[in-house]
Amino acid sequence: MNVEKIREDFQVLKKEIIYLDSACMSLKPIQVVDKINEYYNEYPSCAGRSVHKMGLKLDKELDDSRKSIQKFVGAKKSSEIIFSKNASESINLIANSFKFDKVLLTDREHNSNLLPWQKFKYGILRSKEDFTFDLEKFSEAVKKYDLVSFVYTSNIDGYTLPVKEIIKIAHDNKAKVHFDAAQAAPHKEINVKKLDVDFLTFSGHKMLGPTGTGAMFVKEKILDEMKPFLIGGETVVDSNYDSYVLEKLPQRFEAGLQNYAGILGFGEAAKYLGKIGMSDIEDHEKKLVSAVDVKVKEVGFKGERGIFNFNLSGIDHHEVAGILDSSKNIMVRSGMHCAHSWYNAKQLKGSVRASFYLYNTLEEVKIFNEELEKIRKLK
Amino acid sequence: MICVIAMVVFGVMAIFSASHRPMAKEAFDCVFRRVTLRKCQSGLDVRMKTKLVGSLMRKSPKLARPVYKHFEVVSWLFVGLFIFSLILSGQAVYNLVVHDNCNGPDADPESCIFTPNDSIIDCGDPLCEDGECEECGEDCNCGACES
Repeated sequence: MNVEKIREDFQVLKKEIIYLDSACMSLKPIQVVDKINEYYNEYPSCAGRSVHKMGLKLDKELDDSRKSIQKFVGAKKSSEIIFSKNASESINLIANSFKFDKVLLTDREHNSNLLPWQKFKYGILRSKEDFTFDLEKFSEAVKKYDLVSFVYTSNIDGYTLPVKEIIKIAHDNKAKVHFDAAQAAPHKEINVKKLDVDFLTFSGHKMLGPTGTGAMFVKEKILDEMKPFLIGGETVVDSNYDSYVLEKLPQRFEAGLQNYAGILGFGEAAKYLGKIGMSDIEDHEKKLVSAVDVKVKEVGFKGERGIFNFNLSGIDHHEVAGILDSSKNIMVRSGMHCAHSWYNAKQLKGSVRASFYLYNTLEEVKIFNEELEKIRKLK
Repeated sequence: MICVIAMVVFGVMAIFSASHRPMAKEAFDCVFRRVTLRKCQSGLDVRMKTKLVGSLMRKSPKLARPVYKHFEVVSWLFVGLFIFSLILSGQAVYNLVVHDNCNGPDADPESCIFTPNDSIIDCGDPLCEDGECEECGEDCNCGACES
């Protein structure tokens, strides 16, 4: 993986910045930006209804984009991919399209995979003391639940759950499985067919795609059972004053005029990542995290991962982030990272999170180390 | 305490520029919370502190540490200087209104840039004869003759 060449695709990196906040928002390569512009400059029309040249061109481009996402997550059919605004919307869509009796969650869920389930009966599975997943406890607990909705890779510390084992145990106990892959899809290879997962949700903006884009994978036979939560434009083939006939899959789940430019950019991002290779990206990130070398209080899981979460004793996390930004343009995230429940349970006010991606370099990690060392000495 | 300065500075800027109004409001909220013995919630104080300490770390790392450690004291110092500067400015405005001279009645009028123009008599270009200036009248500003 040629990081220097990759960096040339990211215009914003020409400014002298060190961007370590990709777990929140990834930077966008020129290929994605060009694709968005292509829609607005060349075929800014409606899809799925207009028979003119621009409309047909857009239909083809959207189809290509859906296929790129299908390939990216290894789905059997492109109709199993539903576009949405982001992972949060996808999860809400699932939560409102099904009636689950009891949902099992982990103690490290992002708000997007906690709040939508609170309308059902739900249980929280606590992690072990070393912040890893407790498979043994899970094997017992899962018997009482009909849906397991877990984070794939945690946005707190980058820990990845033993996904394969979880899915097998859940299915053996007749529970459906949803994985919130917002933090996994951008950083590791996922194959939904091999995993046999029922639902997988993820966002475009964390995987080099535009903001306001996301998708969910749902097995076709489950999609057939799902009742669309949002209906209206583009979701029906016919309607009367008292009835309607739903569109085929997947359009029946994509209500209203879609974010066409965003979807095209999202597809382009998936292609871009696919060309580089997800396993190379994952290895590169692990290398970067292992190069972080400062005396800090690490927060959460400490094994191989792509996120470095920490606190400096005696210095507020927001102050650390602010000083890093002012002194060397190092951009990190501080706070509770949309996982308030986890921080509140551990009585932590927050932490600093440095998240790495394919465009970060070892040289940047070196500067990060030096600056953190200087900040540590401020106290 | 640094929010007090921000409130006044952004408050004045907000009169002329709408883009500074949210900052002024934020600073006011911060000051209001502090005077009612609550913590500033907007993060404005942290932003200003980190901006200052971060810049110092670049230019003078040795100075950054005491400024970080004693930021509240530094803030009070700035507030004190600010109030002292406000008093001096008020005094100058009073002198200007009452004595037409911001430095007081006995000071040289030319040392105050706000002194009204009519207190210095401009006699225009001097009359020239044979390349030499004619003498200027009393209180006149005479330029040099062009030869």
